[in-house]
Amino acid sequence: MTTTEIGSNEQYNFEVVKKFAFMSVVWGLLGMSVGVYIASELAWPFLNFDIPYITFSRFRPVHTSSVIFGFGGSALFATSYYIVQRTCQTRLVSDFLANFTFWGWTAAIALGDISYTLGYTQSREYAEMEWPIDILIEITWVVYLTVFVGTIMKRKQPHIYVANWFFLSFILATALLHTFNNLAVPISLFSMKSYSLFAGTQDAMTQWWYGHNAVGFFLTAAFLGMMYYFVPKQAGRPIYSYRLSIVHFWALSFLYMWVGAHHLHWTALPDWTSTLAATFSIMLLLPSWGGMINGIMTLSGAWDRLRTDPIMRFLIVALSFYGMSTFEGPLMALKDVNALSHYTDWTVGHVHSGALGWVAMVSFGSLYHMIPRIWNTKVWSEKLIGIHFWLATIGVLLYITAMWISGITQGLMWRAFDQYGNLQYSFVESVAAMHPLYVMRAIGGMFFLSGMLLMFINIMMTIRSGRQAPAYIAAPGNVSAASA
Amino acid sequence: MSVSKQQAHVPQTTGHVWDGDLQEYNNPLPNWWLIAFYTTVVFALVYWFIYPAWPIGGSYTKGFATITYTNDKGETKTVPWNTRALLMAETNKAEAMQKPYFDKIASTPFEQIAKDPELNSFVLSAGKTLFSDNCAPCHQQGGAGKVGFAPNLTDDDWLYGGHFAQIQQTITNGRHGYMPPFATVLDDKQMTELADYILSFEKIPVDPASAKAGDELFHSETAACYYCHGANAKGRQVIGSANLTDSIWLWANVPDAKTVADKEDAIKTVIRGGLNKGVMPTWKERLSPDQIKLLAVYVHDLGGGQ
Repeated sequence: MTTTEIGSNEQYNFEVVKKFAFMSVVWGLLGMSVGVYIASELAWPFLNFDIPYITFSRFRPVHTSSVIFGFGGSALFATSYYIVQRTCQTRLVSDFLANFTFWGWTAAIALGDISYTLGYTQSREYAEMEWPIDILIEITWVVYLTVFVGTIMKRKQPHIYVANWFFLSFILATALLHTFNNLAVPISLFSMKSYSLFAGTQDAMTQWWYGHNAVGFFLTAAFLGMMYYFVPKQAGRPIYSYRLSIVHFWALSFLYMWVGAHHLHWTALPDWTSTLAATFSIMLLLPSWGGMINGIMTLSGAWDRLRTDPIMRFLIVALSFYGMSTFEGPLMALKDVNALSHYTDWTVGHVHSGALGWVAMVSFGSLYHMIPRIWNTKVWSEKLIGIHFWLATIGVLLYITAMWISGITQGLMWRAFDQYGNLQYSFVESVAAMHPLYVMRAIGGMFFLSGMLLMFINIMMTIRSGRQAPAYIAAPGNVSAASA
Repeated sequence: MSVSKQQAHVPQTTGHVWDGDLQEYNNPLPNWWLIAFYTTVVFALVYWFIYPAWPIGGSYTKGFATITYTNDKGETKTVPWNTRALLMAETNKAEAMQKPYFDKIASTPFEQIAKDPELNSFVLSAGKTLFSDNCAPCHQQGGAGKVGFAPNLTDDDWLYGGHFAQIQQTITNGRHGYMPPFATVLDDKQMTELADYILSFEKIPVDPASAKAGDELFHSETAACYYCHGANAKGRQVIGSANLTDSIWLWANVPDAKTVADKEDAIKTVIRGGLNKGVMPTWKERLSPDQIKLLAVYVHDLGGGQ
């Protein structure tokens, strides 16, 4: 790229940050639209229209990949590149490699989404992409690690800021998880189809070791990294406790790796494995909360900011949802609670209180903070951020309330016996009972999606104004020509 | 917190500064956080003592909790807590409640079951879920069936018979309906005539001459429909051939066809291509004889039993 820009744009590589931030918003809008569509398919099945490409089964991974890896992943790339440069006071180690991660990552998600609609899937939850795409991700991820570590190594700061520990643990763990969970043998060099290297229970165990640590390191540790930069920045106050950050970082990293098996309670998995997963989940509660305490207490003494600053609201409400779902998770990991919640919508609700409440909200707040800064401008409409906040909050609440009621109803109906020892309900009766709650969930999703649409408009207008007339820097010569 | 303690805890930063203004206080770990964390560790320890927990070599610690259950051979066993034994114990409990009723059903003749109010309410209770989980996917909730898919069980039209024993036989061994295709035997005009003959039973305004020709064809050796459907076209339950005179349709969707020509076409499609899809699976490997007997009573009582 040309370096005609001045100030921080010259010191730092913000081009790749811009690209990832832009794609994050695009994937968010796309992935959440598909999410609302499949939620509506569950409520009103005629929406399948007997077209195989848009059935729930094929659209579901399109939704999960687009929001987790497209929206969340791109937001992580953007913010981690932004944070590592600013806190190490140095430019990314290689513009070329950073750019490679952008195209590799974006292509992988696009190819994944297309292949799902065509019916290609490994049938591994959150790892549905078939082997050629997995290889592309593997290469991209190793390059990401190289860029990140290389940048940290040439830092001009003696100490590594806490956010970067979290990002580094996320990148390392994800590399490990992606590699081992996707060990598979293609049926031929020119076929998309492959078979897992593992069999039976071991295969399931590997999948959920991956699945839960994707939650732990991708959706938790990494977004905590985001939180550790943007919360103190937005609040203008120091992080509450350095000591707490160290303790909860190591406790989180150590404990998370054990808990994946709690997804396989009451299956062919050995009971002792189940027990360990349940107990490590319980011990994970407080280390998880460490991040929440550190984030929320950072605002202590500046609570009034919540009244006036919608970005701060996003960040703090995200932390509250984080605290709530990391309490709910260990609870659901207990054998007895799991006997009720397993295979029900409660799980779906739990995931979304984390995904919408924590991951998406903290990303919204961070992107709203970061995007005007990298484009050297002001956000187009503060008011729209405020409206987005309320739409998102109402959306999450509707969604998780619907799924709590639906999940607990399902669990209770499936295990109900009458006075003769007969099952009281048939399965289809429990399906019928879900219908109003599926409608409510779809409406919750629509609220959340309309907020995302406002964000898309707001960000596009902000970028436009940034490219036309930078607010802060009156530079002689060409300021914005190099922008993507 | 006392004033002096507060003063002692005026937060200090670590002294590091990043990106202009990023700093960290060096507050101690909150006490409640530490205590709560240790509590979860104690909780885990207790859990490990109760349940199977740590692998040791080829085995694992079994835990102190036990489960007592009765196995298939009637032996009562007490074993360390495990999910399979727990399932057995819970199944034992439900089966103990069901057993007196199932025993009575096994030893009571069909006609008596329906007359015994207590047994009848057990049939309704067990039959509802057995039917919904096993039969409803084809015969629909309530058993009304679906044209082109599965027969209605609530009317008195029975392909294989609507007596208790016949229903029991159908559920136990399944059924496979078959009608040969006539595409190479009959021409289009002949098929229209046969369709008109059949539609004339329903008082559909068809060409009388054509229906009459169909009548003859039906009973001729050319088409030989009467072999299976009987001389009176009322079907024969021994082989499951349909009664063509009662305005009840399973495969040819005559009721939903709007014009007479469409109704003729619906019947002609079946005559032309024959049928090889009327398959009801056997349930003897999935349900116990008692459950099948109970279902036979339940289906009989749906409204059409004979």
